[in-house]
Amino acid sequence: MASKLINKAANTYEADNPFATSLSEAFHLLEPQLRPPFPLTIRKPPEYLDINRAILYAILTDTHLAKLHFKHLHAIVTDGYCFFTSLVTRVVNELYTKVFDTVKIQLIWVCLEMIDVSAVGVDGLLVALLRQIRGGDFSDANLWLCLELVGVFMGRWDCLVEEEPLMLSSGLYVFLRLLADHCRLSLDSKVEILKRKEIEFCVRVFKEQFHLCLKIGRDLVRLLQDLVHVPEFRDLWKDLLLQPANFRTSGFSDISQLYQVRTSSRYFLLRITPEMESQLRFLLTSVELGSQSRYQIWFGRKFLNVQDNESLVIDIVRFICCAHHPCNQIILSNVIPRWAVIGWLIKCCTKNHVEANVKLALFFDWLFFNEEVDNIMNIEPGILLMINSIPKYIEMTHSLLEFLFLLVDQYDIERKDLIVRGVSSAFDVLKRKGVVQSFDALIGCEMLSPFLKERLVKLLSCTNVSAVSHLQPADLLSQRLQSPTLGARI
Amino acid sequence: MLSLKEIVPSAQNNINTQFIVLDKGRIQGSQNKICLALVADETASVHFQLWNEECDVFQPGDILRLSNGIFSYDRSKNMVLRAGHRGKVEKTGEFTMVFVESPNMSEILWVPDPNNSGKYIQESVISPHSRIFPPMI
Repeated sequence: MASKLINKAANTYEADNPFATSLSEAFHLLEPQLRPPFPLTIRKPPEYLDINRAILYAILTDTHLAKLHFKHLHAIVTDGYCFFTSLVTRVVNELYTKVFDTVKIQLIWVCLEMIDVSAVGVDGLLVALLRQIRGGDFSDANLWLCLELVGVFMGRWDCLVEEEPLMLSSGLYVFLRLLADHCRLSLDSKVEILKRKEIEFCVRVFKEQFHLCLKIGRDLVRLLQDLVHVPEFRDLWKDLLLQPANFRTSGFSDISQLYQVRTSSRYFLLRITPEMESQLRFLLTSVELGSQSRYQIWFGRKFLNVQDNESLVIDIVRFICCAHHPCNQIILSNVIPRWAVIGWLIKCCTKNHVEANVKLALFFDWLFFNEEVDNIMNIEPGILLMINSIPKYIEMTHSLLEFLFLLVDQYDIERKDLIVRGVSSAFDVLKRKGVVQSFDALIGCEMLSPFLKERLVKLLSCTNVSAVSHLQPADLLSQRLQSPTLGARI
Repeated sequence: MLSLKEIVPSAQNNINTQFIVLDKGRIQGSQNKICLALVADETASVHFQLWNEECDVFQPGDILRLSNGIFSYDRSKNMVLRAGHRGKVEKTGEFTMVFVESPNMSEILWVPDPNNSGKYIQESVISPHSRIFPPMI
């Protein structure tokens, strides 16, 4: 049975997708019931599930009668649209890249309708759509999706504020990240219109719902950094750094409060398509070290080979550090470790500004590390990449360590003590929890510059204060100055 | 569904299997195009002959399902797996399949089974891996 969902001409030689088939089969089975007069009986599963499938297929493919099919849907629903929304979400996750353009238009419409009725699981559907936007992809199809979704967020603002406020945080994360790409390349008038809308949305979240910005945590700052040259964001920066009271949000008095909130892994998933996620997870759970070459070539060809999309590597490194934490069984196996994949990704960068951002992505949680809220798995790849690169790729070790110290010195000069504390407790916990036995490999490395080694030794000498991390920063600093062996004394 | 290590030369179109495309050679011929590919699963690799449109459609990294395929000599007396006229090859996915490159079933010397007419058995290994598509380090 030919499916009107999937563009077969563009996907010849593709095996039929069982999920797409289940939708079209339900439609063909129940087609006579999809016209008025609609029966008023309350359906029970499995009939209820099939009528949901049939109506979804009808809405997506029978565009002229979609309004009627929606009416039918509203009449038969008995589960708060839970099953229907889960089907739509699956279509987006599994079939989006293969469906006809007309189906994509319908999917946006379905999303709007589901927001309007506050469907159960509509947040998952919005996430699924956001994840289909590919970072650094300037194709018409991708820009169309950006424009449609920023439209959804602006058009349903009140409803989202009321019902799904966390979706506004998600939307903010996505569009701030996309703006970094869209502002870099703004000669095109189409991109210009999109960029304006994205800026308007993001600024509105900051101005009207700042507490939702805070929900993102420290990566909000990382994203804003790339937009400091955009006038609207320059003003936000000034407020963040100098006038935090302007946000009129109780409890917010300093940007360091954002630094201290670890960003939830769900934000990193927002910038990785489901297909990319499944390939990365496969690489990191099934492919043995030494067998990765072909997989790396395939991944690179598919996702990193498009002009200007190198910045995607930043999102991938954040994903690997913070959203893919292998179990002990994998860590002890021959499977390619996360640090090796990150090393390869850094090597893929050809632009300096991207490479710097990738290194920042790798070390970002180091800067604000606090054992009580942070996860050691987020900082593990950074240290292992530095230490394991020593024998063959000393220049990698050197450039990473140098970059880490550059961050300590320059990332936020006003709050340098906070960052020194973060980085030293990161080193401390990595050793204490046995991720590395010692830092002798670095400190005793002859090929590493004496200057870097000296700085490392100095930094490591601060680590024994981490045992008193509950003290106020000011107290801590003064005590540290007075007594280098504070930890031992306590 | 057979694993690649289990396939044996035969005159019949009876091989159902699944594998990942590792590499593709140059497309040859004008009216009818053919192209040799290295494909593999977690047990073995083999040379797969792509025919006409298949040559352009399938790419390294694609996971393919072969129904009613045939493993036999091509015109140059090389042992290849292919869909043939009665078989079908379809893409079912990408990337997420582990593989080994050795043994390569096309790099085995197959001889008629003296005890079982019409069947073939392995006589010796010509090369542990493909000589056309050398392993990638």
